[in-house]
Amino acid sequence: MHILAPLLAQRRGARCLFLAIAASAALAASGRAQQNSTQPQDFVIKNATVMTASHGTIENGAVWVHAGRITGVGATVNAPASATVVDAAGMWLTPGIIDPHSHSALDSDVNEATSPVTPSMHMIDAFDNRSADLYRALAGGVTTELLLHGSANMIGGQAVVIKNKFGLDRDAMLFPNAPGSIKFASGENPKRVYGSRDQLPSTRMGNFEVMRMAFEDARHYMAEWDAYNAKVKKGDKDAVAPKRDLKLEALADVLRGKLYVQIHCYRADEFLTEEAIAKEYGYKVRAFHHALEMYKVADKIAADQTGIATFSDWWGFKDEARDAIPWNAMMSMRKGVKVALKSDSDDHIRRLNQEAGKMVHYGGATEDEAIRMVTLNAAWIIGVDDRTGSIDVGKDADLVLWNHDPLSTYARAQKVYIDGDLFFDASLPGLGTTHFNGVMHDSGGFGGEDDAEDGQ
Amino acid sequence: MKLWSWFWTNVVAVSSVLALSAQGPPKVIAITGGKLLTVSHGTIENGVLVMVDGKIAAVGENGKVNIPSGAQIVDAKGMTVYPGLIDPESNFGLTEISADEMSNDLAERSDEIMPHMHVYDAFHSETELIPVARLNGITNAVVAPASDDTIAGQDIFIQLYGPDRDRMIMGRDIALAMNYGAEQRRRGGSGGGKREYPSTRMGLVTQLRQTFLDVQDYIAKRDSAAKKDDKAFKRDLKMEALIPYLKGERPVVVGVYEGYDVENIMALAQEFHLKVILNHVTQTQEILDKIAAYKVPVIVGSIYDFPRADQRFDAVYMLPAELAKRGVKIAISSADAGGPVSSHSSRNLPYAAGFAVAYGLPYDDALKAITLNVAEMFGFGDRLGSLDVGKMANVVIANGDPLDVRTDVKQVYIQGVPVPMESRQTRLRDEYSK
Repeated sequence: MHILAPLLAQRRGARCLFLAIAASAALAASGRAQQNSTQPQDFVIKNATVMTASHGTIENGAVWVHAGRITGVGATVNAPASATVVDAAGMWLTPGIIDPHSHSALDSDVNEATSPVTPSMHMIDAFDNRSADLYRALAGGVTTELLLHGSANMIGGQAVVIKNKFGLDRDAMLFPNAPGSIKFASGENPKRVYGSRDQLPSTRMGNFEVMRMAFEDARHYMAEWDAYNAKVKKGDKDAVAPKRDLKLEALADVLRGKLYVQIHCYRADEFLTEEAIAKEYGYKVRAFHHALEMYKVADKIAADQTGIATFSDWWGFKDEARDAIPWNAMMSMRKGVKVALKSDSDDHIRRLNQEAGKMVHYGGATEDEAIRMVTLNAAWIIGVDDRTGSIDVGKDADLVLWNHDPLSTYARAQKVYIDGDLFFDASLPGLGTTHFNGVMHDSGGFGGEDDAEDGQ
Repeated sequence: MKLWSWFWTNVVAVSSVLALSAQGPPKVIAITGGKLLTVSHGTIENGVLVMVDGKIAAVGENGKVNIPSGAQIVDAKGMTVYPGLIDPESNFGLTEISADEMSNDLAERSDEIMPHMHVYDAFHSETELIPVARLNGITNAVVAPASDDTIAGQDIFIQLYGPDRDRMIMGRDIALAMNYGAEQRRRGGSGGGKREYPSTRMGLVTQLRQTFLDVQDYIAKRDSAAKKDDKAFKRDLKMEALIPYLKGERPVVVGVYEGYDVENIMALAQEFHLKVILNHVTQTQEILDKIAAYKVPVIVGSIYDFPRADQRFDAVYMLPAELAKRGVKIAISSADAGGPVSSHSSRNLPYAAGFAVAYGLPYDDALKAITLNVAEMFGFGDRLGSLDVGKMANVVIANGDPLDVRTDVKQVYIQGVPVPMESRQTRLRDEYSK
């Protein structure tokens, strides 16, 4: 093993390690240990229409939660007699809604639009855990969000994954041990932001060449470290270590496959170019975001096992959204692409369940397929599908009780559980929150499409 | 069965489809067996609706309505039939691609007082936005300029289908678009604004009051010149444009968000006896009784506008219900949260109404808020907005509840003509589905 690798890991670890410590501290304090939980160690939600997202809908189903995890699901469950019962007759139960593309709670710090390559930016540095956007999303059933850098830069910053435990402190809201993601972009936004300043890139040619040049820099940097490490290994005591460079280390992490690559990309030709560059430099694209023209090349992208996080029906807001059609999600899914719907908006994040419902209309999604687009598939894009996104034994008890079919226009989230703890209850007076005290921050409401703030 | 071929596969009796395509659309169509949501007189579970020469000729229970011989019969069993939806504030034909400046004719920003801007001069009836909205059952809309100016111009009322621009415009200069609040202070502000008058709310109101006084003065001078047959009198188009509104002959749509802004601008409107339709009012939770006391109609929305921090999440979602409860005649906006309305999402109008139902608005009120109420607010209540004999046959057939996101619209009729269920988007879909 190269000496460089642990070095880089350590550097990244400076943050990751800190997060891990913070996260485990939070776990010990309030997570599975349930110390601050408002909920009992064991409870059973009974008589609900349980939409599992992974294995169909169970009418009059039951879900047993033990110590923050789903421990039983079915027509009946083997919970201890002491378990508290939540009677959900006439209600629907789904996994928590997951948004794989949000810029909530980042105030206006969405884009470090001062260079087209900024991979060492970390969104956690901007995360405001008292933002009203988080509360409003929670009231819409959202339990997990991928908070992404904006799309001003070809290679943007590194995302933070949160559990929407609104009211807890910042570190307790971080999704423990979630994989790292980095935001890339392409198309109109980078070329507009830098082109308007007479800088590179101002065209799509410039866009992609900026990426290639950055990866050449990273390869060179890795080679320098390899050479240094080889010298050290040979016992060369005079070997001088190269200078550590945060930007190049982050790019090296991309080339090593340590970060999920999440690419803002609209046009069919650009999906193909992005995949080709990824292959050339040896990394994988986890998902294309927006991806409004995926229906044109879905068979090709399905073969690369890249997913998409797309809008349900947005179109026409910019030239590269001209060919957007609301059947994109379903047509792409039928061709084998893993499809999630996302908000990219503090508005739509509050009703992603309806966005899923639209897929019944636009392409004939089954209930399972529709609900999966805002739960399990979104979890896969973030890389936390082993932990959340469906109602299965062993998963975190991230659950939403609805008063109406969640795929309809009429559903209101009644109770939202995260790790088995209740964070929102619509029947409570006031805000309906269970853990929040104090003053919320208003970030002014981010209306949508993450380029809205680019370069501004 | 493909959705877009629903119409033709459900035509059960017609003399000859070939003859029909040669002669144009049928003159007499009977939609049978559907659930009719009349809006004006309740629901007919198993109904018949007859359209003759573009108008509704009969509405009633199956078996009790005489179907003219030779009528084309459309079987709508299991379907819901309702009047075409009406978007109370759109920018159809004023924009194509939001970010492409050259495709936008949204607002003239050279001055705040621009009543002589006529939307019909910019309305591009061939816009792709219209077929897209039409496929979800939107058949009519008010087209208004964007909200940059305190007086932005005059609206048109359109039909979302027709052979040419002029036959799609049902009414010109039907209302004055007025706006008041923080957004219109664009000449001021701390963000490097120009610091020109008017840069504050004080400036905006004073400028409006002076303008209305100028119009009164102009009317007096004009009438006097007319009496004296003074040929030298020079017409002022800006002043002329405001006359019908100062005489209270046509409605003034006042876009305003905050409660205290509503109180200020309503005081001015009452001073000059304007016939007001309030628009937006999404931050008015504290003065709802006062709004009801104005006895003016209200376009609510976007109902997705954000509440203030520390307000309950549903403070805006509840507004349609809260206003309707107070006896206010409401319409519901198709806009998404924040920012100017974009009619790319006009097709989601019924879902906004449905969401208002989720937050307490009675269902019938919600449907009315996107049909009959809008027609009545803008002077088209005698022609549109409900399934009533004599009204224009703007009718929608869908496979379920029109306010539900899951529902498919199967066929739209505008003036009794079955509209092709196509848009650029369906053509792209079909091209890539091969």
